[in-house]
Amino acid sequence: MDLITNLGHGFAVALTFNNLLFCLIGCVIGTAIGVLPGIGPVATISLLLPITFGQPATTAIIMLAGIYYGAQYGGSTTAILLNLPGEVSSVVTTLEGYKMARKGRAGAALSIAALGSFFAGTVATILVAASGPLLTQVALSFGPADYFSLMFLGLVISAVLAQGSVIKSIGMVALGVSLGMVGTDVQTGQQRFTFGIPELSDGVGFVSIAMGMFGIAEIILNLERPEARSVMSGKVGSLMMTREEFKRAVPAVLRGTVVGSLLGILPGGGAALSSFGSYMMERKISKGRHEFGTGAIEGVAGPESANNAASQTSFIPLLTLGIPANAVMALMVGALIIQGIQPGPRMVEAQPDLFWGLIASMWVGNLMLLVINLPMIGIWVKLLAVPYRHMYPSIMIFCAIGVYSLQNNVFDVYQTVVFGIFGYLCSKLRLEAAPMLIGFVLGPMMEEHLRRAMLLSRGDPMVFIERPISAVMLGIAAVALVAMLLPNIRKGKDSALQEGG
Amino acid sequence: MSWTLRRRSLLAGSALAVAAAQQARAQSGAWPSQPIRLVVPFAPGGTTDLVARLLAAGLQERLGVSLVVENRAGAGATVGSEMVARAAPDGYTLVMSNIASHAISPAVYRGRIRYDAVTDFAHVALVVSNPTVWVANPRAGIRTLADAAARARSASGLDVATSGAGSSNHLMVVRMGQLVGRELNHIPFRGAGPAMQAVIAGQVPMMSDSLPSSVNHIRQGSVIAVAMASAQRHPAFPDVPTFREQGFDLASDSWFGLSAPAGTPPAVVERLNRETRAVLADPAIRARFAELGGTPGDMTAEGYGEFVRREVALWAPLVQASGATPD
Amino acid sequence: MKLNTKDIISGAILIAIAVVGLWLNMDHNMGSARRMGPGYMPFLALAILGGLGALALFFGLFNGPDPLARWTSQEIIFLIGGAVAGTAAGLVAARMGGWPAAGWNSLGIGLFVGCLVPSIVKSWRPLFLISAAFSLFGLILEPLGLMAAIALSVILSAFADETHKPVGVVGLVAFLCVLCYAVFIYELDIRVPVWPQF
Repeated sequence: MDLITNLGHGFAVALTFNNLLFCLIGCVIGTAIGVLPGIGPVATISLLLPITFGQPATTAIIMLAGIYYGAQYGGSTTAILLNLPGEVSSVVTTLEGYKMARKGRAGAALSIAALGSFFAGTVATILVAASGPLLTQVALSFGPADYFSLMFLGLVISAVLAQGSVIKSIGMVALGVSLGMVGTDVQTGQQRFTFGIPELSDGVGFVSIAMGMFGIAEIILNLERPEARSVMSGKVGSLMMTREEFKRAVPAVLRGTVVGSLLGILPGGGAALSSFGSYMMERKISKGRHEFGTGAIEGVAGPESANNAASQTSFIPLLTLGIPANAVMALMVGALIIQGIQPGPRMVEAQPDLFWGLIASMWVGNLMLLVINLPMIGIWVKLLAVPYRHMYPSIMIFCAIGVYSLQNNVFDVYQTVVFGIFGYLCSKLRLEAAPMLIGFVLGPMMEEHLRRAMLLSRGDPMVFIERPISAVMLGIAAVALVAMLLPNIRKGKDSALQEGG
Repeated sequence: MSWTLRRRSLLAGSALAVAAAQQARAQSGAWPSQPIRLVVPFAPGGTTDLVARLLAAGLQERLGVSLVVENRAGAGATVGSEMVARAAPDGYTLVMSNIASHAISPAVYRGRIRYDAVTDFAHVALVVSNPTVWVANPRAGIRTLADAAARARSASGLDVATSGAGSSNHLMVVRMGQLVGRELNHIPFRGAGPAMQAVIAGQVPMMSDSLPSSVNHIRQGSVIAVAMASAQRHPAFPDVPTFREQGFDLASDSWFGLSAPAGTPPAVVERLNRETRAVLADPAIRARFAELGGTPGDMTAEGYGEFVRREVALWAPLVQASGATPD
Repeated sequence: MKLNTKDIISGAILIAIAVVGLWLNMDHNMGSARRMGPGYMPFLALAILGGLGALALFFGLFNGPDPLARWTSQEIIFLIGGAVAGTAAGLVAARMGGWPAAGWNSLGIGLFVGCLVPSIVKSWRPLFLISAAFSLFGLILEPLGLMAAIALSVILSAFADETHKPVGVVGLVAFLCVLCYAVFIYELDIRVPVWPQF
């Protein structure tokens, strides 16, 4: 019963007044920056880092963690209400969430996002506490070949995100991967497709693409169809979920929690894969799969839960190995080191207050977020009642400031304009932006792992089949690819034949 | 909102102190009379960023104006450095100059870079230097550089991970390969974290890293330190021999310092140098730096300028040998 | 024929991007399977992109009809006019020296002019006026500060919606200035010039 004792100790730490206060502050700040498009947790945490110097280490890390998962919560709000995804995970949320909002079910979408996230967060926290060190071994057993196959599988199934033609959506994935190649090549340091522009040497900005192709393009499309706008601002709908919606969401939340908890452990890419892995799953097996594309609640419940579970379990590599899984975690390592604490396997023994206090505070933070966010839903949904002519300039300005503040560079603003126009063109041609964004994120990672795997295997491609993890993933990818393409090709052939006959 | 509460309560103390001092300065009309921007040409969270923030906190106290750390990452740290090279030389815009932006990138991005690492800056002070350390997975069977060299000459060759192509760590791998007489199999990663994970997991046996990012892992025993690439042994790791002691003539520290645009008044540069060295002499700061594995610098402004000049000359031929080019 | 215009144009765009990309990729070393060069993965991705584009185009010949709304001659003229004017403005700005040529200002000027010209046509207005307003924001943010950037780009974007009334726009500008000051400057303390700098 060590776990219970330890957790009890953790709660004793997390529930002191000071730590509760800073957990709350972190959650509120996190929610606020999550709601603002463009401004992410990385920028905010780096701004607030100096403030934490004066606090005890435990308090500091509790607050930073609060910002991190608060931002995840807040991010889904803008994704659902305004079709503005601030990060990869919210791209998936826009697909069904925004459609739900347009049907007048914004309240239900926001509620299930909050409730599902809370449930997933609770499960994931217990998982971190109970078997963190064990799960570390899973993360360590993933070699470059396995990562490559995982990313490849991710790309193949991301075509499922498509609402229309599979060929066009795989095409958009390929376009995203190609776009991801812009910038400095990790392996050689060479500049690719940068045209000598220093701003492009770190690649095209994700936020610029997302803001342009989702946010700006959506504004333009809404302005073109006044009738859609009046629907938008007229229907607020009931805030609560119906019994039917709730019943459909529960299994999605459960599945999302499992997917997210497992993928979150893998540093680099795991968390990004989790939300649309869950989306893909819901779209294939949930009861409401025929409603996907028109605002299915499972498409919000699953990915949101997966995303939050992953953001909790992504602490595992940090806590057990001292290795940050993403940029936010890297900042937290920095904060700990400045405090004179060395994250790593010995942290559990050396800093039990910090370790168990942080884990307990994750749950406390999730509870706080639920308490903060549920009453806010009513206010958020009322925002939709604001006339669109006042709404769109505001969205535009918030996007512009957010994009600019990423690097304090107007180049990013112009980049967003270009992607806005391209996004508009794509939506006219029914080329979908979501698969492109996923390709953009996963493509460079896939390249990196592919090349590293080949370097380490001395050029022997058998490594992808010899390693069991990799082989299984490639197998699934192959089956999925065939299953997706066959009906499409057959359909094309049929119509070709009909044409001939 | 409780935002306001946060800022008021947390910043009140330091803000008051700064404000009071600021007022005093403004009346005398001397430099500094307004906040100073400190540009860090890397993303937040890295070693340079941490050191810059520690330094900024110290300088803020001594100068009586606030120092605002601004991250402008990109293109081998050249984007932020270029911005400062073009800023007004009034002492209100400074940059964390470093081995990437002021020694390696000028050679990598030859002709593409719109500043001269030596003549476009008034170099102020060396802040910290970090030794390069070669670490190995404990189960890899590599305890000394002789083991590593033997592995490199064997049929399978030696894989060495680094934090990225074109970094000083990468160039160390190239140089070591030249000394061993066999090219090492360089495995670049996106940052030191993922590279270290691969070493701990045993996917790559060895890594060339700068000390701050591996210091914890060495202390925890998850990797072993094989050799230190400094002129002398590191005080925190007296048992780890240097490259030279093991018969390989290699010594290279990564470093960063403080620089201003060329043309900044000498009096301002002198003052900044004095205050920076005073901050670095503070025992609390020294202890923090020691924990990070770095050695605080103590150079005059001229000394640092000369140091940068030497580094530029040192790295250019190595960059060419490594084949790292922008395109 | 059941032409699917949307699929045909989509396919053509994907192919065009792939061709340009592959041409640019000729600068990059392909390397070997063991030590893949910087050109290896882009080649793969672009080749697949081109292939899928061709497939989309091919099937688009049969699985229609799905026509695009036809552009009027006015729309086409102003679109081309915008492209020409924008390119010209950008080039002229880059040659002028001083502020128009500094940093990314010439790009911003080019984008702004290029978007403003076609927005004269009413049906182009949502697309190009919003884009122009967004570019304008970037253009004046650093020299004139956040407040001016908000005011001018909101006013410009207001022309994209006919239901706007002058009083409402003024109110909106005031509201956004106060809100953005409170959120971004006062609370988040982001690094951006707020007022004009001389």
